[in-house]
Amino acid sequence: MTDPLLQLAGLSVGFGDVSAVSDVSLDVRKGEIFALVGESGCGKTTLALSVMGLLPGSAQVRGQIRFQGDDLLTLSEGARRRLRGDRISMVFQDPGTALDPAFPVGEQVAETIRAHRPVSRREARDRAIRLLAEVGIPSPAERYADPPHRLSGGMQQRVVIATALANEPSLLIADEPTTALDVTIQAQILGLIRDLRDRHGTTVILIAHDLGVVADLCDRAGVLYAGQLVELAPVERIFESPRHPYTRALLAALPTAAAARGALPVAGGGVPDLADPPPGCRYSPRCPVRMDVCVRVPALVPSEPAHATACWYAQSERMA
Amino acid sequence: MSTIAVIAGAVAAPRHRRAAVGASILAVLVVVAVLAPVLAPHDPNAIDADRILAGPDLSHPFGSDALGRDVLSRVLFAYRESLAVAVGSVLVALAVGIPLGLLAGYLGGAVDSLVMRPLDLLLALPALLLALSLITIIGPGSGVALLAIAVIYLPILARVVRSSALAVSGEDYVAGARARGVSGFGVLLRHVTPNSLGPAVVQASILMGFAIQIEAALSFLGLGAQPPTPSLGLMLADGYQVLRQAPWADIFPGLAIAVTVFAFMLIGDGLRAHFDPRGVTE
Repeated sequence: MTDPLLQLAGLSVGFGDVSAVSDVSLDVRKGEIFALVGESGCGKTTLALSVMGLLPGSAQVRGQIRFQGDDLLTLSEGARRRLRGDRISMVFQDPGTALDPAFPVGEQVAETIRAHRPVSRREARDRAIRLLAEVGIPSPAERYADPPHRLSGGMQQRVVIATALANEPSLLIADEPTTALDVTIQAQILGLIRDLRDRHGTTVILIAHDLGVVADLCDRAGVLYAGQLVELAPVERIFESPRHPYTRALLAALPTAAAARGALPVAGGGVPDLADPPPGCRYSPRCPVRMDVCVRVPALVPSEPAHATACWYAQSERMA
Repeated sequence: MSTIAVIAGAVAAPRHRRAAVGASILAVLVVVAVLAPVLAPHDPNAIDADRILAGPDLSHPFGSDALGRDVLSRVLFAYRESLAVAVGSVLVALAVGIPLGLLAGYLGGAVDSLVMRPLDLLLALPALLLALSLITIIGPGSGVALLAIAVIYLPILARVVRSSALAVSGEDYVAGARARGVSGFGVLLRHVTPNSLGPAVVQASILMGFAIQIEAALSFLGLGAQPPTPSLGLMLADGYQVLRQAPWADIFPGLAIAVTVFAFMLIGDGLRAHFDPRGVTE
């Protein structure tokens, strides 16, 4: 459980003047469910797309993305395509738009198999039907030829997951897989992801802005703020003893039963303009414990073996 | 007259029924065009000095023209020619325009500019002028008219395909297909293409209607079909000389054009409703 499957080292992604991801380094271990947390626009999806190799051509990517030993950024487009959908696959946020409306759902699973395996149409079809059954689609052989709009949102997301699992990937990136779904369906989909990890040992990166989802499902979490990784810790640690002021603000903003009677708690301020980010720690303009030193970028420093924080205040707190 | 009843019914009908009515009219017209040699009661080119400008009667329901030729037989043969040119020109324009538009819209960037700038240039020239120059270079005839109309339509259809391919390329399911490891060409072929063709099909159906008119206009100007080949445009040109004495020589070819354009419009309307169910009020 401790071998890193995916290692990001100093990964930065920019679009022209906009710095979407800034110097992120983290390891994802084999077989874990790793949460990538942060509010909208903090670079979670950009990070995921850079691992997939699906960033638009205008993106400037620096650093390293090591997957099973290879630096993905040095691979050819052909080699990256062979990894996509085979070793690394992705589940998108909205199943309603992630499936081709003009394509039978089963065929989209079969197509994914045939993109990577030299199997006959018939064989791909049989495998696709087995996969649809595995992700919990009732009468999969009949559903195979249905267009996506005949399926409910939850069923569509199951199909998307089936396409992602078609070739038994080592790494599954799920980009807010439940955001577009009803609450009851959310639990089912998250349960399905956990089952798949337990059964196949698939490593999962779960992108979420909902900390409740993270608490239930994930082993470790990385908190992103405005493209910077601010805290990295086991999920229990994030909830019990968060060290970064932003992580604390996120947790304080969780609606609880007690607070639900009154106004919802709100974290003050807004995400900085990424075309002109504040120098140093990007959270500093909103930070209640800002110090002079915060104009310099804080390093991600471990306070305990598994818990690291990029915050000057957290470090000074520990020294004191 | 039953045609009028059909037309009135079609205008009032909801869109999907309009398409059905349009398709039915067109089906009848196609059968008529194909079977023209069987259906025509007389030789379309047989001159009959006794029947010059003779009015309709039982053996010549559409009357006779200035040379005593049977107008019905001529309309049937001319219609065959016109429909072939109209459909052929749009098919040629589609065959060239769809791949170009798809490549431009899907690949974008330099390919887009390389493909679309020359087509924009074609679009900037007045259609009839373009056709006239082409015919001047190659010489008049139905084949050239077909080619000229195809050249006029090529940039229009390519643009329509390009813009929908561009929109489709930005869809999540295209990113999704790439995320599943489908090759660039596979994505274009299996995901972008089927989702991009709807608007082009609608446009093509409407353009076929207009193609009948352009073909007639070119023939009217003496640049399309050459006499004695029966052609709707030529018939209009000839009949126009004798409009007061023998209106039937002009009315029937004109009606053939009108009904065809109308059928294509209905089909286009219905197809648009089919491909874009939003924004349709029934």
